[in-house]
Amino acid sequence: MIRYFRTRQAALTPLLLLMPAIVTMLFVVALPLVFSLWTSLTPYRLTRPETIEVFIGIRNYVRIFTDDDFWAAFGRTILFLAIALNVEFLLGLGIALLINKITWGQRTLRTIMMFPMMFSPILVGFQFKFIFNDNIGILNNALQSLGITDQAIPWLVDGRLAMFSIIFAEVWMSTSVFAILLLAGLFAMPRDPLEAARVDGCNAWQVFRHITLPFIMPFAFIAMTIRSLDVARAYDIVQVMTDGGPAGRTELIWTMLARVGYENARMGQANAMAYVSTILSVAFTYFFFTKLIAARRYMGGAE
Amino acid sequence: MSRYTITALAAATALPLLFAGPALAQADYGDFDGYTLRVKLIGGAQYEPLYAEISKWEEMTGATVDILSRKNHFELDREIKQDIAANTLDWCVGSNHTSFAPQYGNIYVDLREHIDEDVLAEFVPLVLEHGTVDGRLVQLPRHSDISNLFYLKSLYEDEDNKAAFMEEYGYELAPPETWQQVSDQAKFFADPPDFYGTQFVGKDEAITGRFYEMLIAEGGQLFTDDWEPAFNSEAGVRALQWFVDLYEANAVPAGVPNYLWDDTGLGFGSGTVAINLDWAGWSAYFNDPDAAATAGNVGLIRAPKGSSGKRTGWSGSHTFSITETCDNKEAAASFITFLTDHDRQMVEARTGLLPTRTQVWEDAKAEFAEAGNDFMVNVFETFGASMAEDAFTPPLIPEWIEVSNVLWPELQAAMIGDKTAQEALDDAAEEALIIMEDAGYR
Repeated sequence: MIRYFRTRQAALTPLLLLMPAIVTMLFVVALPLVFSLWTSLTPYRLTRPETIEVFIGIRNYVRIFTDDDFWAAFGRTILFLAIALNVEFLLGLGIALLINKITWGQRTLRTIMMFPMMFSPILVGFQFKFIFNDNIGILNNALQSLGITDQAIPWLVDGRLAMFSIIFAEVWMSTSVFAILLLAGLFAMPRDPLEAARVDGCNAWQVFRHITLPFIMPFAFIAMTIRSLDVARAYDIVQVMTDGGPAGRTELIWTMLARVGYENARMGQANAMAYVSTILSVAFTYFFFTKLIAARRYMGGAE
Repeated sequence: MSRYTITALAAATALPLLFAGPALAQADYGDFDGYTLRVKLIGGAQYEPLYAEISKWEEMTGATVDILSRKNHFELDREIKQDIAANTLDWCVGSNHTSFAPQYGNIYVDLREHIDEDVLAEFVPLVLEHGTVDGRLVQLPRHSDISNLFYLKSLYEDEDNKAAFMEEYGYELAPPETWQQVSDQAKFFADPPDFYGTQFVGKDEAITGRFYEMLIAEGGQLFTDDWEPAFNSEAGVRALQWFVDLYEANAVPAGVPNYLWDDTGLGFGSGTVAINLDWAGWSAYFNDPDAAATAGNVGLIRAPKGSSGKRTGWSGSHTFSITETCDNKEAAASFITFLTDHDRQMVEARTGLLPTRTQVWEDAKAEFAEAGNDFMVNVFETFGASMAEDAFTPPLIPEWIEVSNVLWPELQAAMIGDKTAQEALDDAAEEALIIMEDAGYR
C-alpha cells in the first residue's frame, strides 16, 4: 500500500513541479481567453456590467462578418502587416550587413540604431503627424523650399499616401528589431564556409545568396514571428496619426476594435473583432514558424 | 479630440499672476481630520495650477487627498468605464465633462442633495443646466469652453484687400458676421500652399461637434423629438456643404480631414491662416510674441451666424462629480466646492480658462483691465457673451459618442469627395438609427 502511494507520488511529482507554471498560464492566458470568448457572445457594454449575463449567440460575429467596413479593415491590416514586415526585413538586413562590415565604432552604431525603439509608439505617432502635416509640417516645407514641389502634399489625407505615411512611421520605429536579430545571426556565423566558398571562387553575391542568407534566415523568421505578434502596437501610431481616417482609408482592425470597445463601450462586439484579430496573429505566427522550421532543416539544424 | 487636453501651450504662455484675487471671507470647508479622500483627476499642464491649491484644502480640513490617477480625458474615460465594469468605484471624486457624463449612468450623485443652493446660485445658470443629466445635477462645473472667431487684423486693414474684395463680392471687407461671409473671405484670402483662408478640425468627435453646431446654426437638428436621426435634412446638407465647398476650393489646408485641435491652433499661430474658429484656451498663445507669429495681429469676434440667424456655440464644461459609492460624501462635496470657489476659479481664469461663476467673469476682466491687458479683456468679453447667450451642448445622451463615431467618417467621405453630402449624411443616419434602436429609444 505504502509502495503504491510512493509510486503514485513519484508519478505526480513532475505535475506538482509544473503546477505554478500551469496555474499562472491558466490565470494569465486561458481564463482571459475564455472570458473574452464569452463576452463576444453577449451584448456586453462596459458601462452596463449587467449586460454580460445576456447570451446572444453569434450575433456579434454575424454583425461584423456582414459588415463591409470590417472586411475592408481586415484586408488593410493584412496589407499593412505584409508591407511593413517585408520592408522592415529588407532594411534591417541591409543595416545589419553594413554594420557587420565596419570595424570601428560598431558598438556606438549598434546603440544608436536602437534609439527609435526607445520611444513610445504614441510619441512616434505625434512626431510623424507633425512631420507629415501638410501646412506646417517640415516635410512639405523642405520639399517646397528645395523646389521639388509647389503643392502642399496631403500626406495624411490621400488614401495611398496616408497608408504610406503610417507604414513609414511603423518601419522607422521597428526596423531595428530586425537589424539587431540579423546582426546577432551574422555574429554567430562560422567563418569556415565563407572562406571555403571564396577559395572555390564564389563571388560576393554567390557567397551572400547561398551561404550568408540561408544561415541568417532562421533569425529573420524569429524576428518576423516576434514582430507579427507585437505589430498590433502600431495601433498607437495609427490612432494618433489618422485614427483610421480620412473616411476609413487607414482603418485597421485594431483602431476599429478599440473604438468599438472603449469609445462606444460595446465590449462584446469588440471582443468578437479581437478574436478575429487573434486568429490573424496566430495564422501569421504559424506561417513564420513553419518557415523557421523549414529554414532550420535546410541548414541541417535542430527542429 | 484633444480639446480637453489642449496642449501645454495655453498654460505655458499664460499670463503671469499679477494681482491676488479680491479677498473673500474664508468659507468653512468642514473638519475631516484623518480622512483620506480618493480622487481621479484630469491631468495636463493647463489643469495643474488648480491642483497646487489642494494642499490649502487639506490644511483647512485636516483631510488628505490621494490622487489615484491624473490622465487625459480619454484615458480617464476608459479607466472609469473599466471601474464600472469591474465594480471598483472605490474613489470619491472624479473629473468629468458635459459630453462624457451621460455615458456613466447613475454612478454619480445628484449634487443638489449635497451642495447648498446658495453656492449653486453663484454659478452661471446655463452652465449648471448643461451639467444636468436626466434631471440630476451630476457635475459641478470647473471651467467652460466655447469657440469664437480669431482673425488676422492686418488683412482687414489692408486697403488693396478692401478694394479687391469689394469688387469681387460686392460688399465691404470686415470681420465676418455670417458663415457665408467666412466662406467668401476664406476663398478670397487663400493662396495655397503658402496661405489659407481658414481651417477646421476633420476627425473624431471634433468634426462631429463642428458639424453639429453648424447644423444648429443652419436651423437643423440632430434628432427628431422621438430620437430619429434628422441630420440628413436640407439644413444638414447645407451645413456639411459649407465644409465641402471650402475643402474643394483649396481655401483650407489639404490635410484638414486629419486635423485636430493642436493642428488648427498651431496652424493659426504660425500666421498662415486668415480666419480661425477656436477655443478660448488658445487666446493667450495666439497673442504671445515669444510663441506665435500672430502676436499683436489677432482680432477676435463672436462666432458668426448661420442662415437661421443663430450663432454656432458648441460648448462643454470640465466638471467634478462625486460617486454614489463614496464613503464620505460630505468631504467630497467640500472638496469640489473648494476647487470651484471664487479664488480657485480666479487662479484658472488668470491662465485664460473660462470661469463658471458669474462673479469671476467680472473680477477676472477687471484684473486684466487693471494690468492694461486689453487683449485678454476683449477675450473675456467676447467669450463671456457667447457663454451666456450662444452656448449649447450636444444631446446629453449616452449614445452621443457612438453616434459621433458613425457620423465623422461619413463627414470625411463627403469632404474628400467619396460621397455627396446627401449620400454621406443618409448613410450616417442609417447607422445612427440602428444605434438608437439598439439603445431602446425607438
